[in-house]
Amino acid sequence: MADMSYLDLLMAQQEEVSEAEGGGGGIWVVADVVNGAVAPVTLEALGAARTLAGALGAYVYGVVLGEDVADLSATLYQAGADGVRVADHPALAQFALEPYLKVLSDLFEAEKPEVILFGATSAGQELAARLAQRMGGGLIEHVMSANLDESTRTVQGAFPIYGGEYFEVVACPEARPQFLTIEPGAFSAPFLDPYRKGEPKMLEVEPGEPAVRVVGPAGGFEPLAVPLAQAPVIVAAGRQAGDFGLVKQLAARLGAQVAGDRGARDAGWIGAEQIVDVRGVTVAPQVYVAVGIRGDTFHNAAMEGARFIVAIHPDPTAPIFQVADLCLEAEPKDVLPALLEALG
Amino acid sequence: MPNIIVLIGRVLDPSGIVFNRRAGRLFVNREEYLLQPADRCALEAALRIKEAGQPKGSPSAEVVALPRTLLPDDDVLRQAVATGADRAIHLVGAGEYTGFANADDALMARVLAAVVERLGGADLVLTGATTLDTGQGQLGPRLAEALGWPQIVDVWHVEAADGRVRAVRQEKDGFVAVEADLPAVVTVLPGVLKPRYPDGARLINVYRGVKEMANALEQWDVADLVEAQALKPLVERRGQEFPAERERGARVSGTPAQMAQTVAEALRQRVRR
Amino acid sequence: MDFTFSPEHVALRRMIREFAETEVAPIAAEIDREHKVPHDVLHKLGQIGLLGICFPQEYGGMGAGEAGYCILMEELGRVCTSTATNVGAHIGIGAMAIHLDGSEEQKRKYLVPLARGEKMAAFGLTESNAGSDAANIRTRAVREGDSWILDGGKVYITNGGYAQIITVMAVTDPALGARGGVTAFIVETDWPGFKVAREEDKMGIRGTSTAELVFEELRVPHENVLGKVGEGFVTFMRSLDMGRLTLGAAGLGGAQAALEWSVRWAKTRKQFGAELALKQSVQWMIANLATEIEALRSLVYRVAWMVDNHQPFAQLAAMCKMYGSEVASRSIDVALQIHGGLGYTRDFPIERAFRDARIAEIFEGTNEIQRIVIATNIFRDHGVRIRA
Repeated sequence: MADMSYLDLLMAQQEEVSEAEGGGGGIWVVADVVNGAVAPVTLEALGAARTLAGALGAYVYGVVLGEDVADLSATLYQAGADGVRVADHPALAQFALEPYLKVLSDLFEAEKPEVILFGATSAGQELAARLAQRMGGGLIEHVMSANLDESTRTVQGAFPIYGGEYFEVVACPEARPQFLTIEPGAFSAPFLDPYRKGEPKMLEVEPGEPAVRVVGPAGGFEPLAVPLAQAPVIVAAGRQAGDFGLVKQLAARLGAQVAGDRGARDAGWIGAEQIVDVRGVTVAPQVYVAVGIRGDTFHNAAMEGARFIVAIHPDPTAPIFQVADLCLEAEPKDVLPALLEALG
Repeated sequence: MPNIIVLIGRVLDPSGIVFNRRAGRLFVNREEYLLQPADRCALEAALRIKEAGQPKGSPSAEVVALPRTLLPDDDVLRQAVATGADRAIHLVGAGEYTGFANADDALMARVLAAVVERLGGADLVLTGATTLDTGQGQLGPRLAEALGWPQIVDVWHVEAADGRVRAVRQEKDGFVAVEADLPAVVTVLPGVLKPRYPDGARLINVYRGVKEMANALEQWDVADLVEAQALKPLVERRGQEFPAERERGARVSGTPAQMAQTVAEALRQRVRR
Repeated sequence: MDFTFSPEHVALRRMIREFAETEVAPIAAEIDREHKVPHDVLHKLGQIGLLGICFPQEYGGMGAGEAGYCILMEELGRVCTSTATNVGAHIGIGAMAIHLDGSEEQKRKYLVPLARGEKMAAFGLTESNAGSDAANIRTRAVREGDSWILDGGKVYITNGGYAQIITVMAVTDPALGARGGVTAFIVETDWPGFKVAREEDKMGIRGTSTAELVFEELRVPHENVLGKVGEGFVTFMRSLDMGRLTLGAAGLGGAQAALEWSVRWAKTRKQFGAELALKQSVQWMIANLATEIEALRSLVYRVAWMVDNHQPFAQLAAMCKMYGSEVASRSIDVALQIHGGLGYTRDFPIERAFRDARIAEIFEGTNEIQRIVIATNIFRDHGVRIRA
């Protein structure tokens, strides 16, 4: 067996990231913590930050708040942060606005970032808006692509209009910091370099008192039913769907409403009010998954307004493939179990 | 002092717009405006709180409608009053800052905070959690910060009683009840409440400005509320980008497991779960 | 000349359109299939004041004028002819007679609850021997002390099966005939002697009640005489004139729906490799439809304006009804042709709209009568008297 230690040495280029000494500028990313780990959107935001930093000639910093979260800084370094600040305090264990806001507000008053990125999660959006108002910065929410106007060191962020019909590009030319919330899945996650390490700075924090108290589970709260015609995600079955149980599982996994064509109705899988057809319900969801639907004119005309259509059918000549964005010429019973597994 | 303030905005009806990806522009064939759906839910929530004799048990809580952006006319506010708001205030600006194209949320938060102060405060501010066109939800939190009030965002349901506001939010595991002391800012999700129709006679009287509706609409000048420098928007529009033309019929290749991977990727990007 | 609607009418239309699409359209097929009156929808319309849309606010109405009423009928007609018909019979002829000729007490007692939608109205004129020949009615009203005793019956009365208040025409002096011998009465349908004998099973507008009424020694107090004794003919002519205009508006709505369906289908349906919209024959059908609809729209709202501005309108109202009903029929016929087999099936709204449209050329004064009204007016201006 060859001596691998030399190889290890060559490969393990321990990059000790030297902390940029703060004191102004930089692109800061406020991390979202989900189930004790750094959320994917934070990594994506770091990737975006690195690109912007390259053009700006600036450092990238990450901030993570919570309880017992110091270890998460390692992931932030691996994703490209030059510096990480950690606010570790029992009062920060769960997200609450005022405690988090105070910590960030104190930090950013001192650090004076040029750009601050948040994930476009509920918590991230709340924090970003409140902080932007406090610090007099402009905020662009749900950013899906960004580039730099180098002359003014201004980030131009594009966000979806009418759910994605087009994108508006907006920038905050003067006010600083510039705040953006990054839409999950819009930027690619950076390569996590396992040899990139650093020593995070632990912050001394005095979190404020939360103003919103959790009372408990809202037992008995029944949300208003969304009619099929307005459902944002639909999984529809046709005669070739095979196992309708799998279709229902997929719908549950995606938080989708179940529908079908007339064949599904005849098979007894759905009710008459769930038939997607010009003679039934016309739908226009963000996502439509057609499982085993052949797709005749009357069905297709009632769903081609969907923003994104996936179709699974064994027959390559099925008309559904003329309207679908992603076409899978396969048996649903072969694809669905794998799909459920891939979705996790 | 008004009890509940509702921020209402408008949006161009997307069914009257053609988005031409190839030409990279949009054509407004029919210029018609809808009330922001989430703001309508906020107004409905406000009216239900008023009807329940709340907040603070007052039998005649006043609901005041304010615009969420600087508007060229007061139609949105008239609709709010017709639907049941007791009064509304139309904000008129000077010169280039009128028109919804220019007012941004940071600017509006400052203006609206000044309006609230001029009104003598309020118990509750309700508005939509997001806008139909731009999908931005920052106005509510920004106003809460400008007023120094607590905020509860993205609610499915809201009630007010005994100096507190209680709301239902959706967390990972289900619906959760939260509460905060008044005064507070609450933002309501679209589609969670069925908004009521305006009363017919009230609608006619509001638009004609007669009878009990004669004084329902006021007009305030923004210049009286904040100094001119504070009226400068922070955010600037730099253009539009159109997504690539939709390519239907793209075949996914590979084994079923590989196909599933591709589809899962695409779905994960598009379905928030 | 200002061809824009006033802001309150624009706002009203927006509100009614949303109501029509949210509350009425979803039940249109069901009420046709199950032959039932949409009482829930009528109740909701009443709650927001729409069932009194053209009546003054002092009497519980909305004060939106005839223009507002035409907007209501157009928007309802666009989604459900049955619902529009229920509403039209209630407002346009039933309650309208009381609005036109009622005394102050009668308006307070009857118009207010009708305008608020708390009660529903109908108009009782037609009899088996008196359709177009309305003056040939036989229902008799005989004075007895401080009441009148009515005997007879009516047929084809819209809303007759459920209305609480019906304006009934009866003969008070057979010798005088139409001029001086007919009187209008406000009848409450829970009075003894009033009976709904049967409901008609119709080709279309199956979401309406079309009833045969029987009066057997129906006692009506003298204070329920509407207008003056013997002047009932004038009351019913004036009511019908008002009703005609709004029937034209409902036809406009139906024609508009036919056009919208046709355009949508023409751009979706592909045959021989191209959408129907690219075939010239279809383009011409649509162009003709659209032109007629624009002409009808201008006519309807111009006449509404004339009513609201107290100008003579009887002749033009007759034109509205005649043209509106025929445009609606032509439009739905074209829509059916464009939709082909799909339009002929009961899953799709076109076949219902086709059956619903036909009656408009017949009721509320047949189109033949309308033409006589128009011609009579024209020739009278030239010194020629035509008697029907």
